[in-house]
Amino acid sequence: MSFRWDIIVEYAPFLLKGTLLTIGLSVSSILIGTFLGLLIGLGKIMQNKALAFPFYCYVTVFRGTPLLVQIFLIHFGIVPLFTGETNAVAAGVIALSLNAAAYIAEIFRAGIQSIDKGQMEGSRSLGLTHTQTMIHVVLPQAFKRMIPPLGNEFIVLLKDSSLLCVIAAPELMYWGKAMGSQYFKVWEPYLACAFIYLFLTLILSFVLNRLERRLKTG
Amino acid sequence: MIKIENLKKSFGDNEVLKHVSAIVSPQEVVVVIGPSGSGKSTFLRCINQLETITAGHIFIEGLDTTDKKVNINKVRTEVGMVFQYFNLFPHKTVIENIMLAPLKVRKVSKEQAAQKGIDLLKKVGLAEKANAYPDSLSGGQKQRVAIARALAMEPKIMLFDEPTSALDPEMVGEVLEVMKQLAREGMTMVVVTHEMGFAKEVGDRVIFMDEGYIIEENIPSEIFNRPQQERTKAFLSKVL
Repeated sequence: MSFRWDIIVEYAPFLLKGTLLTIGLSVSSILIGTFLGLLIGLGKIMQNKALAFPFYCYVTVFRGTPLLVQIFLIHFGIVPLFTGETNAVAAGVIALSLNAAAYIAEIFRAGIQSIDKGQMEGSRSLGLTHTQTMIHVVLPQAFKRMIPPLGNEFIVLLKDSSLLCVIAAPELMYWGKAMGSQYFKVWEPYLACAFIYLFLTLILSFVLNRLERRLKTG
Repeated sequence: MIKIENLKKSFGDNEVLKHVSAIVSPQEVVVVIGPSGSGKSTFLRCINQLETITAGHIFIEGLDTTDKKVNINKVRTEVGMVFQYFNLFPHKTVIENIMLAPLKVRKVSKEQAAQKGIDLLKKVGLAEKANAYPDSLSGGQKQRVAIARALAMEPKIMLFDEPTSALDPEMVGEVLEVMKQLAREGMTMVVVTHEMGFAKEVGDRVIFMDEGYIIEENIPSEIFNRPQQERTKAFLSKVL
């Protein structure tokens, strides 16, 4: 049995299309997930326990249930409930964003709470409000510490986007599977996918490393 | 200038301040001494309400700052504070540390804030460090920057919470010197410290605290030479 390069070449346009969608899904989910994660993280550390409780529940539910289950629920349940039809790409972005938001919320919470409380006191003693202190003193310092765990989370999210092939979102893994079932092949499609995912995560970690170094000196 | 009435503060079941009343007059330097755990730092932190007080009233220039309607942020702009561990902002340069509150709270122009910052750095002898980051400074320098940062808001009162306790011995002098200069200029100051020399030399009045009470207060020469209370005598015999 020989390795059939020709079917990879044949499928290259589809794999490329899939890769672009994977990038699109991941980038939009990273952006939305980070934004939601910041809000949920801030929500979780509110002094008022009653107000913080819904955010606490959110993290518990989304961290405590499998992403695959969330994808099915959102794809077959929630999206049709609102639009009357299924939409794999929309469901994919929603599921990935909501799931990542739970983890990112924890990263933000830990980052904020890792800042010495003397920073808050120093700033408040000068007459800055709690919000001003967060914006100018606590968050800038917390962000630096959050970059390595955030980078991890982004890489996990990028790889987890492959799960969306089960709801037929035409991303990279979807085309890999299509190629595998057309030719009854294992190595060609899945190794091709693996290399592309590896390439994408390498680029992502390179970008994050650069960002981390720039923030360190700046 | 500051009037404290029946101040009480508990952390859970632990009553740290039990019935504390005191008055600080304008331009007065009040030094608070006492063993660790006596509540003296908590007492100081209650004045600008970094600690929420359990009961009692604190009047600053006649205004009851414990009143829920009073904007505590506004009060804090008039009450500067210097901490044991400096609490400088490590991601900002020295001059940015000093400029932050004037820019964001007083809303002065950038030029004005920078000019004020440079003047204050000159005053504490650190003008050449304006663009350095706090991490590159010695402890004594950090504390002088922290003093300059508090002064940038032009407070009417300055609170010092053991400002020299975290410093190497050879750096204590430079910080005390800045504080003495402030006292000479007529700043109203409340200083929690273990520096008995400073208390004697600069203090107008010394308050001795123990177990959440003010045990004794008097002018320094009386407290140090003729303490009235047994606990004061016991404490002073250990530290002098």
